[in-house]
Amino acid sequence: MQEHIQLDPKEINDIALSPILETPKWWFPAVLISFGFIVAGLSAFFYMVYNGLGVTGLNRPVFWGFFIVNFVFWIGISHAGIMISAILRLTQAEWRRPITRAAEVLTVFSLMAALHTPLFHVGRPWRTYWVFPYDFSRGVWPNVRSPFVWDPSAVGTYLIASTLFVIICLLPDLAIIRDRTTGLRSKIYGILCLGWRGTPRQWKMQTIVGILLSALVLPVFVSVHSIVSWDFAVIVGVEGWHSTIFAPYFIIGAIHSGVSAVATFMVIMMWAWKGNNKILRPDHLDAIGRLLIIVATTWFLFLFLEISFALFTLERPEIVLRELQFFKWPFSGLFILFLLTAYFIPVPMWMFKKVRRSLPLMFITTILVNIGMWLERFLIIVPSLSRKTPFAFDWGSYTPSIVEILIVTETFAFVIFGLLLFSKFLPLIPIFDIKEGMVFRDEIKIGRRTVPASIRE
Amino acid sequence: MNPHVITAKATLDKKSKINNTLIERHQRSSNYFWRIITLLSIFFILGIVGFVMKLSSGFSDKVIWGYYAAMFAFILTTAQAAPMVAIAPRMAKAHWRRPISRTAEIWTIVGLFNLILFIPLLWVLPSLEDGRRSLWFWNVAPEFHGVPVFSPHIWATLALCALVFIGILLLWVSALPDLALIRDKGNGWQQKIAAKLSRNWIGTSAQWHWLYHRMGILGALYFAMMVFVHFLISIDFLLVLIPGWIDALIPITHAANALQAGVATMMLTMFCLRQFGGYKDYIGHDQVWALGKLLFALSLLWFWFWFSSFNVLWYGKKSNEQSVISLLMTGPYLKIFICVFILNFVFPLLMMIWNPVRRSFWGPPLIASGVIIGTFLDRIRLYVAAYSVPGIGDPNVSKHELQSIPLAHLPEISDIFIMIGFISGSILVFMLATKIIPVINIWEQKEVVLYEIHKKFHRTEVKILGKPD
Repeated sequence: MQEHIQLDPKEINDIALSPILETPKWWFPAVLISFGFIVAGLSAFFYMVYNGLGVTGLNRPVFWGFFIVNFVFWIGISHAGIMISAILRLTQAEWRRPITRAAEVLTVFSLMAALHTPLFHVGRPWRTYWVFPYDFSRGVWPNVRSPFVWDPSAVGTYLIASTLFVIICLLPDLAIIRDRTTGLRSKIYGILCLGWRGTPRQWKMQTIVGILLSALVLPVFVSVHSIVSWDFAVIVGVEGWHSTIFAPYFIIGAIHSGVSAVATFMVIMMWAWKGNNKILRPDHLDAIGRLLIIVATTWFLFLFLEISFALFTLERPEIVLRELQFFKWPFSGLFILFLLTAYFIPVPMWMFKKVRRSLPLMFITTILVNIGMWLERFLIIVPSLSRKTPFAFDWGSYTPSIVEILIVTETFAFVIFGLLLFSKFLPLIPIFDIKEGMVFRDEIKIGRRTVPASIRE
Repeated sequence: MNPHVITAKATLDKKSKINNTLIERHQRSSNYFWRIITLLSIFFILGIVGFVMKLSSGFSDKVIWGYYAAMFAFILTTAQAAPMVAIAPRMAKAHWRRPISRTAEIWTIVGLFNLILFIPLLWVLPSLEDGRRSLWFWNVAPEFHGVPVFSPHIWATLALCALVFIGILLLWVSALPDLALIRDKGNGWQQKIAAKLSRNWIGTSAQWHWLYHRMGILGALYFAMMVFVHFLISIDFLLVLIPGWIDALIPITHAANALQAGVATMMLTMFCLRQFGGYKDYIGHDQVWALGKLLFALSLLWFWFWFSSFNVLWYGKKSNEQSVISLLMTGPYLKIFICVFILNFVFPLLMMIWNPVRRSFWGPPLIASGVIIGTFLDRIRLYVAAYSVPGIGDPNVSKHELQSIPLAHLPEISDIFIMIGFISGSILVFMLATKIIPVINIWEQKEVVLYEIHKKFHRTEVKILGKPD
């Protein structure tokens, strides 16, 4: 990391707190636009509640459409936070420091977005509580062996753990804002920082909790997308879904899309708040680009195995499904677009250091990945259901209605809205982590070369 | 920020000490060492006897070759995966790998031994004409009419040869500076061999640049080829032999099991070198700690991969999948499966969560021993079960479902000889190789002297490690 800029604590405070203490010109319009989309989406939702699911493009046998595609997509994005924050923290990767907070916050908002999509999908959201096996008196017990029951508990646990993770890491930073604001704001931040004074004991506890949460949240992270994958994989009746590889395949796909989303968010942070460019360097994009090459290639390997083993069965329905996915319009076009955007365009580009260090190119390639990964989920769900099955009296394709498009757009607007609000009230750059990194950083001069170094236990 | 300056003078003494100590240890052979070599040789001869007994039974009855196939898979999973402990941390520029990277690379030589063991399996494996399903899609449609009927045999052999070749090349390239050092400072027959192997290495900047570059490429190639070989072996020599077993995860599981067993192999090797090889000054807490964490993570991964497969197969209640579960887990191999589950997952999980165990010199090697035994039993569970299916080479295979669960196939005396002999043979090859190539990477040890300094930080002393780009 030769491009590192050594900053003193005051400079770090100024850079990280400027989005909170000053409001950029673009902030209000951005909030208003995203809020507008949220209102439009919610209006569409209430319209759907009033008129029933018939206003969507869902039909027999395509019972799962845009809502479930979007649910899986956002669960995937939510894997960014833990991948970047927990794993890199445990492996002591120094380059993680400026991007951990952004990744964790992205996790929280994307989980919220993911959670409300199935809520819309069920048609009668006021009966969602039926999923929880809480009421002995009702005598109605959901099937605890069903992944649909595992889903809410896994995603809920993940949301709680991720939120805790963000709060624990925010405490020292909240105290800094408390000390730099006055009046009511100072009082609110004072309450939020839970009496943080920065005593040695508090630092020790905060470090231990951070490490413990990193380690404990990892199994939750793995279980969440595994369970989401089993929503599909345990079903025998739908071709293309009953595959043992689904759990790891979904996880690695989630990491691929999640880390790409973090890279996109990093570029936006560098563009939106110029001060961040002293902390977020092209080196960080370079590192994340290299990580993405490995993740994307592993994901591609899983995709290859998934398709190969589907054909390996030599069962006619499975082969017909694959023909539909690969060779029949419009799925064939979407499949080609999916392969190009999720792998064949971005990965060869990331091979070049210049691309990995370029803000616009990283922005484009990582956005492409997420277009591809959204399409991947669509291609897993819709063609499999569109096929004629032995007991189906009706079959055909699926076209999303404007209601579904508006609701899906609402989830994207919700995440953007959430991130914008967060950036206004809480620091997106982890101040204490950056300061620690500056203290740990050192250099060693060997002959005529200066080698970056850092303190280790 | 003022960089800490490391002068040539400051490092000269340390480097010279490393040279002298490690060359002296490399050239010294105790009676103890030769006694072990003799014992291993006797066991190895026993293995050859077992092999000849097996050969005399011919290749027509595939059932009797189950344990042999399991032995081949076991060596592939342990010894041939151990070099990843050198390759992956080197890519991540982790300094802890330095004292053990050469040890890991020397295990690649055992690949040559395993390649010889592989040859009989080519006769044991039936051609694709028996009608079993295969990822080569032989004769399933007009587009596949050109696929050779011996595709599994051809590609597995080529891939295994490539893996062994790349591994040995990696070892040789990485050992060049040390071989040159022995050429210049050593004596006796080891010096003569080193002189030949070290070519013209004199340590110019161009040569060092070449060395780093080649090590990077060969390491990446070895990793890719190792995964590819595990894919081919796990599919063509295992999965397709059980009719109705459709498990897209098995190639990845096989490769991930290899990473776990490879780390366990290295942990145990490292323990032996430290305790009995006289390398206490070089192999320390850093290595045990780092490998322990890796082993812990890979043990959790073992469970996750197993459960991902099991859950889907069990939940579907399809008859072909229930038969597979019955054969491999709940049926004749239930006891072995329980042992595998405990040794590869439960034992590491329950032990490794304790910091005192993970930080001790005895804890992780003890767990690693369990993992190696577990992996050995796992290969027996999978391969012996697969080879005991009566349908192999039989037209019944085309039903693509296990018609009845075969009974557990117990080892014969020749199988026991083969297991003892071939494990001893692998260790023997490894130990003999350490007499030619230094078991501790001397140049990497000297290199870290340049990157490591200690300084006072407030009231404590800290280690500062350089990480070159």
